[in-house]
Amino acid sequence: MEHLGTSLGPALGLFLSSSGTFLKDVAGFLGSYYTGIAIMNAVFALILWQKKKQTGWAIFWAVFASVMMILASLALSGSSTLVPGLPLASRHLVNRLSGPVLYTLGTTALFTILFVFRKFFVQPMVAWSVLNIALVLMGLSMADENFASIVMKPDNVPIVGLVFLLAFFTWVATKQAVVNDERIRQGLPPMEKLADEKVLVWPDLVYTELICMVGVSAFLLLWAICLPAPLEEPASSVKTPNPSKAPWYFLGLQEMLVYFDPWYAGVVLPSLVVFGLMAMPYLDFNKKGNGYYSIEERKFSYLVYQFGFFELWITLIILGTFLRGPNWNFFGPFEYWTPYKVEVLNNVDLPQMFWVNLLDQPLPRAPQGAGTLSQIGYILLREAPGLLLLGAYLVLLPPLLAVTVFRGFFAKMGFIRYMIMANLMLLMLTLPLKMILRWTLNLKYLVSIPEFSLNF
Amino acid sequence: MADKKKMSVAEIMAAARAQKAGTPSQGVPPAADAESTAADAATTQDSTAPESAAKPDPKPAAKPGAKAATGAGGRPSVAEIMALARSKAAAGATESAPKPTAPKAAPAAKPAVEKPAAKTAAKPATKPAVARDTASILAAARAGAKPGPVSKADAPPRPEVKKQVPERPAAERAPAKLAAAAVPAKPVKPAAKKGAEADEDRRGFLEIALGSFMAMGFTALSVTGGLFSLGLARYFFPNVLAEPPSRFKVGFKEGFPVGKVETKFVAQYGVWVVNSDVGGQQQVYALKTVCTHLGCTPNWLEAEQKFKCPCHGSGFYKDGVNFEGPAPRPLERYAIRLSDDGQLEVDKSRTFQEELGQWADPECFITV
Repeated sequence: MEHLGTSLGPALGLFLSSSGTFLKDVAGFLGSYYTGIAIMNAVFALILWQKKKQTGWAIFWAVFASVMMILASLALSGSSTLVPGLPLASRHLVNRLSGPVLYTLGTTALFTILFVFRKFFVQPMVAWSVLNIALVLMGLSMADENFASIVMKPDNVPIVGLVFLLAFFTWVATKQAVVNDERIRQGLPPMEKLADEKVLVWPDLVYTELICMVGVSAFLLLWAICLPAPLEEPASSVKTPNPSKAPWYFLGLQEMLVYFDPWYAGVVLPSLVVFGLMAMPYLDFNKKGNGYYSIEERKFSYLVYQFGFFELWITLIILGTFLRGPNWNFFGPFEYWTPYKVEVLNNVDLPQMFWVNLLDQPLPRAPQGAGTLSQIGYILLREAPGLLLLGAYLVLLPPLLAVTVFRGFFAKMGFIRYMIMANLMLLMLTLPLKMILRWTLNLKYLVSIPEFSLNF
Repeated sequence: MADKKKMSVAEIMAAARAQKAGTPSQGVPPAADAESTAADAATTQDSTAPESAAKPDPKPAAKPGAKAATGAGGRPSVAEIMALARSKAAAGATESAPKPTAPKAAPAAKPAVEKPAAKTAAKPATKPAVARDTASILAAARAGAKPGPVSKADAPPRPEVKKQVPERPAAERAPAKLAAAAVPAKPVKPAAKKGAEADEDRRGFLEIALGSFMAMGFTALSVTGGLFSLGLARYFFPNVLAEPPSRFKVGFKEGFPVGKVETKFVAQYGVWVVNSDVGGQQQVYALKTVCTHLGCTPNWLEAEQKFKCPCHGSGFYKDGVNFEGPAPRPLERYAIRLSDDGQLEVDKSRTFQEELGQWADPECFITV
């Protein structure tokens, strides 16, 4: 077997020679992992063949299942060289290419593609293929020590589950929305109106909840036994773990804090998220889509919500969990988390850019011994460019949008509701805008008044 | 508007009537003059249904009943339940609730109108899918068990009901009367009048007693609350403070060679002692190990010659000035002085901030 591995490995470019002990450790898991995928696909093929009478697809997935069985047996062969994994060169390439810019733009592009071609992606066969590709890619990546050490960390396992669960639920909802949109286009009522049967809370719902409760409790017990949460060293006010990470559900917030002052990213933006979610039903004037899934009928609401939820919350959680390492530096998925990684992240404030770099003169500074008022005057002068920009963004932009892009919205919503919606949207967009400014211009703060801890 | 789950018998009938609208009547309508009034009432209510109301099917029970038996499968359709209800309530057929919003119809004409209208209600059987949801089945079943309006909104105005069906209210009232008889009679009014003054006194006493009890209670509560918060406030001034002293000696000047960041005081005191060139002047100063962004403890990276915060990636030069990441201002300095025995003494009770121009203060550095 050893000989076969060394001769076949380079030929296929599929095997790797990473540290042997790690691979021996992970091989057992990978064996059962691939076996699981194989069983899953075999059952799927059986259902296709017996129930759906789709023999062609059944054969395809049966063949795929047998390929998975081959991978499983390779992983379980006992030889570390035979464990299937991604070639080293491709992993290096992924590491070199990945960065916050590519990650954010890439996920945006991915979501755009998924949205535009949703009619294609909601087909069961396509979705099943995507799921299998994702599972196999994850299995192959798992043979990399750095990748596995992050993904298999007990803290991070829920995030892996979150990725797959969210993908599944979004797929289900999108599928129903696509079906409904097609029906509405043909003048038929949405699917939900056909099966309009009301169900009683007791016993139908309560029993279901009870069964779910029992099942989830059993699952959590098993999980806690199999994947114990690691205890760390005693807390100390002068020793911060490196990297120091918030609970997984706050990693989006922690990522926001990279671009903002704490009062804004830690207090104002989270409050606005809660406030915005509460305001949603009052801002919504679209009567359609009530009680059934639909994308076409509520495109604006759908896109805004999905942008806020997926792009500004979920992808940031994934970024914070898997790709932010020591010193909060960005690490590629196959990169070793060294605390000595050097990344040049120098950044400057807007006043510095404006006065020093652009006008080539020192920052306006109050003369020695000036009174409080004159000091404030000098600060305001220094921050004038940022304050003007921010004022224009928050004060001028809403009316401007009201007479251009959101003309119909303004007419339907009225002044107050429109203003609330426009300002909430603009404040939400400060996050991506600030990110882009940081990446492109190395801009730290638009308004920087450290004298009063007021930075934006 | 007409939500299915709240469909009352009257609404089902209206729906049936509306459905019948297009088809021509098959027989002579009974009680034609009575109908005209009903039709008037209906026109004011529902512009789609007046014709059907005027032309009820003369023998509807047989046909739809047969259809319902075949069409509904194993499950009782609304029509079947309705038929059952009708057969039960045959004697008082007038029971079926008239349109709640059409109370103006002449009471005498009502029974005559309602009868055929009720019969037409069997029509939904032709379209069994219409109202098979749980709510309407329940509503229909309820109508069968105890004929009458389901909700208050459906109920006809009281006086009309009395006129229409004199037997039923009487029957309903009977048990109530019995119950009333069983209850001991209330004290007669004159007696109450006699004791009015005493009653008032009693009430006044109650008011005073209760009022004072309330006052006492609230007073006690506020006193307890005040004492409790005072006791809590006491915790802010403990007898013994297990804190390291704010003034401590870090050793002689010679222990801090040029360009060195001393990190050995971080664990105990939270201080870096640095010997560095600041604005052309060689200084020894003490930097506070708290990131100015969100308060984590940065690490000194010797190879990169910078302080780097693990929480959000803020970076500071050796002199404490921020240059990367989100930290908005430089690290703070503690007061430092040369004590009498020649050692350096750091005083953590006073900090100096660069952005406030306090680093020029000679108390926050020692020139070497």
